[in-house]
Amino acid sequence: MKRLAKAALIVRLRDQLAEHGSWCGETHLQKAAYFLQEGVGVPLEFDFVLYRHGPFAFDLREELVALRAEGLLSLQPQSAPYGPRLVSTPDGERLVKQFPKTVGRYEGQVRQVAGFIKGRGVSSLERIATALMLVREHPDSDNESLAGRMMEIKAHISYDAAMGALEEVRRFLDVVEQPV
Amino acid sequence: MRSENGPGRENAFSMKYWHEIRDTVHDFIVVDSAERSVIDSPPVQRLRDVHQLAMSYLIYPGATHRRFEHSLGVMELAGRVFDQIVRPDMLTDVVRGLIPEVTQTNTYDYWRRTVRLAALCHDIGHLPFSHAAEHELLPPGVSHESLTWDLIMSEAMEGVWAGVDPPVRPEVIAKLAVGPKKAPSGVVFTPWESILQEIITSDAFGVDRMDYLLRDSKHAGVAYGTFDHHRVIQNLRLLPRPQEKDNNDSDSLVPEDISLGIERGGLEAAESLLLARYFMFSQVYYHQIRRIYDLHLIDFMKEYLGGRRLAATVDAHLAISDSEVLAQIRKATRRPTARGHDPAKRISQRDHMRVLYERSPTDAKVYQEPGTAVHNWAVQEFGADLVRHSNPPSKTGAINFPVLLGNREIVSSLDASSALKAVPSVVADTVYIDKGQLEEANRRLAKALPEVLSEANARQDDDAADTDSAAGKER
Repeated sequence: MKRLAKAALIVRLRDQLAEHGSWCGETHLQKAAYFLQEGVGVPLEFDFVLYRHGPFAFDLREELVALRAEGLLSLQPQSAPYGPRLVSTPDGERLVKQFPKTVGRYEGQVRQVAGFIKGRGVSSLERIATALMLVREHPDSDNESLAGRMMEIKAHISYDAAMGALEEVRRFLDVVEQPV
Repeated sequence: MRSENGPGRENAFSMKYWHEIRDTVHDFIVVDSAERSVIDSPPVQRLRDVHQLAMSYLIYPGATHRRFEHSLGVMELAGRVFDQIVRPDMLTDVVRGLIPEVTQTNTYDYWRRTVRLAALCHDIGHLPFSHAAEHELLPPGVSHESLTWDLIMSEAMEGVWAGVDPPVRPEVIAKLAVGPKKAPSGVVFTPWESILQEIITSDAFGVDRMDYLLRDSKHAGVAYGTFDHHRVIQNLRLLPRPQEKDNNDSDSLVPEDISLGIERGGLEAAESLLLARYFMFSQVYYHQIRRIYDLHLIDFMKEYLGGRRLAATVDAHLAISDSEVLAQIRKATRRPTARGHDPAKRISQRDHMRVLYERSPTDAKVYQEPGTAVHNWAVQEFGADLVRHSNPPSKTGAINFPVLLGNREIVSSLDASSALKAVPSVVADTVYIDKGQLEEANRRLAKALPEVLSEANARQDDDAADTDSAAGKER
C-alpha cells in the first residue's frame, strides 16, 4: 500500500478509536494497528516485534513521528499524571477525505478493531495484543500452552489474565471479516 | 594514548591497565586494557576510515571526522549515564521494585562493561560513508545493524571477547548494540536490557545522539549543535513514563513502563539538547547540497557495482571502507568509459545537481507529497538521468519523556515544557536537476506546478494499493 494511503488509514483508525472511547496514546494506536494488520488482514505492512507492552512496530513509530512532523497528527499534552494523546489535525482529516476508496475498502475492519479496542487501558491492550501474536505464531497450540508462554515472556501477567485474553482474542477472530 | 597501571590489577612493571585517549569533545576517554583490546579489533579500527557525516565535508570542510572517535565518545557517555542511573540516591522504590537489577550491585561491573562495549560497537556495521547508500547497496534484508550483529558474533571477534575479564556475553553486547528494532527475529529484551539499550539510542537521551550532536557541530563549525550534556546526564533518572489513562497508580505499573527521564533541574538542558537536534537536522544533516551528494554517491556505487550488491559477509565488509571508494571515484573521474564516470565527476568536480523544488506547506495542502509529484513531472520532462529526489524521514521536535518535578510528581515533558512543545519539525523534500537544465526547468515548473499537484492529488486514491518505496527513502 502506498505511504499516503496507509497514513490516511492510520488517521482514520485514530479517529475511530477516539469515537469508541480510546485514550489514543501511542500504545493504543500501536496495538490497534497490530489488530488491523494481523487480526483482520489489512495490509499495513508494519514490522511488529515483541517489545514494549507486546507487539510493537518501530516503523509504525517512525511513521507516527513523520505524520506529526508533517502536521497530520499532533501529540496533545494532558494534565499530570497522564501522558499525551494523539489527535488528528485538520490536515489529517483532509487526507482521510482524499482517500475515499481506500478508507471505504477497509472501513469495516477499522470499525471492528476500534470496537474491540474501545476504552481499554495499556495493561489490557498488552494482554490481548500479546495473545494475538501467540495465536498467530502458534496456530496449532491450545490456550493453556499459549497462556504458559505468555507468562514466560510477560512475567507480570497472571495465568487467569492470560487465559482471559486468549479467549477474548479467539472470539474476536471468529467474528471478524477479512478484507475483500 | 597515555597509559597507567590499574590498581591491584597488574604488576606495576608489567602491562598498563588504564589508558587515556585524547578526544575533541570529551577531553579524555579512559578505557581499560580489556576495552582497548576491543578498540584494537579490526571491525572497530575500520571505523577510522568511515566518515561520520559521509560527504558533508564537501560543504563543511571541517566535517572530516570518523565513526571511530564517535564510537569512543558513545562508549564514554554510556558509562557515565550508567553510573548516574544506578546511583542509590537516584532510585525510587517503584523503580527498585520493578527493575531488580538496579539494586544488584555485584553485577554493576558486568553491565557497565557490557553497555560500554555495545556502545563502542554500535556502528561497526556501517558501510563506507556511513548511512549514505545502505538500502540501495546491501542485499535485501541486510542492514548496517544486521552487519553489526554478525560482526559482534563473528569468529573474528570470538578471541577478543574471550580475552575480556570479567567475561562478557557477545550475544548480549550484540543485543544492546543493535536494539530490538533490528535484532534477529525471536530475540527478546528483558526490561533491564531495554533500559540499557535506551541509554545508547533513546529518542531523547540516547548517548549516540548526544555524542554525534556535540561532535558533528564541533567539526562542522556549527555552534548551535552544542548543549550542556554534563547537566543533562547529571539529571537523568529512571522514571515511569507518564501514564496513559488506565494506569494512573503505581500498582498497575509494569517493568516496561520504566524509561530514561530527567529531573526538573535538567529540563532546560534537555530543551537545549532537543533544540540542538532540530538545528543540526535542519542545517547540517538535511542540508540540501549534502543530500544531493549522498545521491550522487549512491549513483556512483550502483553504477560501479554494475547491478550487483555489496557482499554482506564479515570479510567483505571489513575489506571496504571510504578509502577504497574514494580511490574508485578518482579513477572513474579520469576515465570517461569507466563505470560510474558521471556521478564520480559530479562528486570530484563539485558539479552536483541543483535544487529545482523544495516542499512548501501550501503545496502540501494540495498534495501531501509535493516533491514526489514534482519529481515524477521532471522525470517525464527532462529524463530520469538528469533529475533526483531526496525525501529523508521527517523529524518532530516534540519528544515525550518523563520529568520528575520538585514535588515528586512525574509529568510528560510536553506538559512540563512549553519550549519542548514548540520545537519545530524538520521535513525535507527536495527535487534536484542537472545544472544545465535548471533555468528551463524553473521556467516550465512555474507554469506547471498547480496542475502537477492537483493531478497527483486526483490520482492518488486510485493508485493507493500500489506499493511505493518506504517513507523517507531517497529516490
